[in-house]
Amino acid sequence: MSVLQIHAHPTRTTVWILSWFLFVTGVISYFWVSRERHRDNPDDRVMPTLRQMSQAFVDATLKPAEDDEAAANASQQSLATRVRNSMLWKDTAATGRRFLISMALLFPAVLLGLHMGMFPHVGAFFLRFVLFFDKIVALSLLPILFIAFGIDELAKVMLIVVGVAPTIILDAFNLTRSVPKEQIVKGFTLGAGDFSITYRIVLKQIWPRVLNSIRLNLKSVMLFLFAGEMIASTDGLAYRIALLRRHMGMDTIIPYVLWVALLLFLVDFGMRTLNRKLHPWFQEA
Amino acid sequence: MATAQTLLEEKTEPAGLGMRALICIQDVLVEYGQPGKPSKRILNGLSLDIRAGEFISIVGQTGCGKSTLLRLVLAEEMPTRGQVLVEGSPRQQPDRRCGYVPQKYSLFPDRTVLENITFGLEVTEIGILGGFSPARRVRRKEFQSEAIGYLHRMGLRESDASKYPHQLSGGMQQRVAIAQALIMRPKILLMDEAFSALDPGTRAGMQRLIKDLWRETGTTVLFVTHNPREAVILATRVIALGRTGADEDGANIVLDLSVPDTGDELAIAALVQRVERTTFPGGAESDEQTGAPEV
Repeated sequence: MSVLQIHAHPTRTTVWILSWFLFVTGVISYFWVSRERHRDNPDDRVMPTLRQMSQAFVDATLKPAEDDEAAANASQQSLATRVRNSMLWKDTAATGRRFLISMALLFPAVLLGLHMGMFPHVGAFFLRFVLFFDKIVALSLLPILFIAFGIDELAKVMLIVVGVAPTIILDAFNLTRSVPKEQIVKGFTLGAGDFSITYRIVLKQIWPRVLNSIRLNLKSVMLFLFAGEMIASTDGLAYRIALLRRHMGMDTIIPYVLWVALLLFLVDFGMRTLNRKLHPWFQEA
Repeated sequence: MATAQTLLEEKTEPAGLGMRALICIQDVLVEYGQPGKPSKRILNGLSLDIRAGEFISIVGQTGCGKSTLLRLVLAEEMPTRGQVLVEGSPRQQPDRRCGYVPQKYSLFPDRTVLENITFGLEVTEIGILGGFSPARRVRRKEFQSEAIGYLHRMGLRESDASKYPHQLSGGMQQRVAIAQALIMRPKILLMDEAFSALDPGTRAGMQRLIKDLWRETGTTVLFVTHNPREAVILATRVIALGRTGADEDGANIVLDLSVPDTGDELAIAALVQRVERTTFPGGAESDEQTGAPEV
């Protein structure tokens, strides 16, 4: 039987094996090549061994960064303090803070998209501008943002907002427009006014889809955040990756990349679960 | 008892009872089109008076403007020419004088059955931000018990109250939609092919239900259907729309029939035939599986 059949019904075991195959193959291939490279050159830094990466990750979670003032008396601190002062924790907290601020700033984008979809005059006022703005490559604005807002937090947050907000606005706009006309007419006939319909009928209906849209844009948010951190920052996960690149610190870079992927996965999973719990009626969640 | 012949008599009451009419449609023209392109005329010079308490069925072929006429009464759409008056005044947008039961999307998917039914009461009394004061909570309880009463009247169980629309069958959804509309005590109930998507058995049950509710409440009903039999068995008056001439652009009333409430099957059959011949001269569009409720 061919595997390329539309009507094929793979068993649970087959599905499990197929879905993990590439992960396992990738890991095995990496460590095999790594071992071969280290056999040729014990000082190889391009493909660190599992032991090297584990050691680097433990150091990152327990020791402060070399340029950190807390590094001076690190050995006398308690475990909790050491973790709190650690390079990984501080970088994660810095990136997380920027991420959360950016996500909070996306909420007005949802409201703008909603109002553009509901009120024709608001739509006419903003739509063309947002469509144009959406086509601007946000990274090309980076120098302008750094000049305009300085190299502090604001520029990095603005980069994310400029990069992701137009997409969220247009998504919210399209979702609003896709609410059946019958629902709006029904609202009027039940005595609701324009704003009651906007917030109590339409926003409530599109909200789970908006959350999905934001969830699908998480990677874009992180992309812009990392770009900002790599270019102008003194802390953060991307800053650390960029810094370690200069020293070929692959033993820390690889665990950092996996840590970022894990965090993003957890945020995605959390948002999906929250969406399902908050909106039991929403089938697509 | 009325004979088939007398039942076939067309309604001859002159237009011009506008002063007494609940809904007054005056020389309405509806055109759709984009600038620079020839426009499409849907309704052309249609005039109609509807008195309070009438049950009007509007029939016609697909695309003849039945739903457009309903949207005009609803004030969801404005005519290109002419005007539609409800209680003697024109309106700019739909309001609570008209209850509305469409064929699809009749319920809010994010609300339970109970929340759907009480939505209108809550939104008009509690306002945009809701409220949590004790008085409001008491009011909310009252709304809920009223809604449960409507649920029972619609033949639904109390256990259905906490279900979401997607957990209900099509017939149950429409029952809830009718309850949602009627709880607001509208002067006019507009139903746009509300039973079209239902299976014959459910449809017959819904026909009985709406007729009973109409008798009970006295609400004026405008019922759009493409099914002549359904139109005749439900209504006190059947309005058929169609082209009045071969070269006529846009539909108008081609038949305006009064239907006495006799229950005489022979008379009903004659009326249905008359409506079918006028509305679908090329062959009946009706499906014969609509069920024949005893109304």
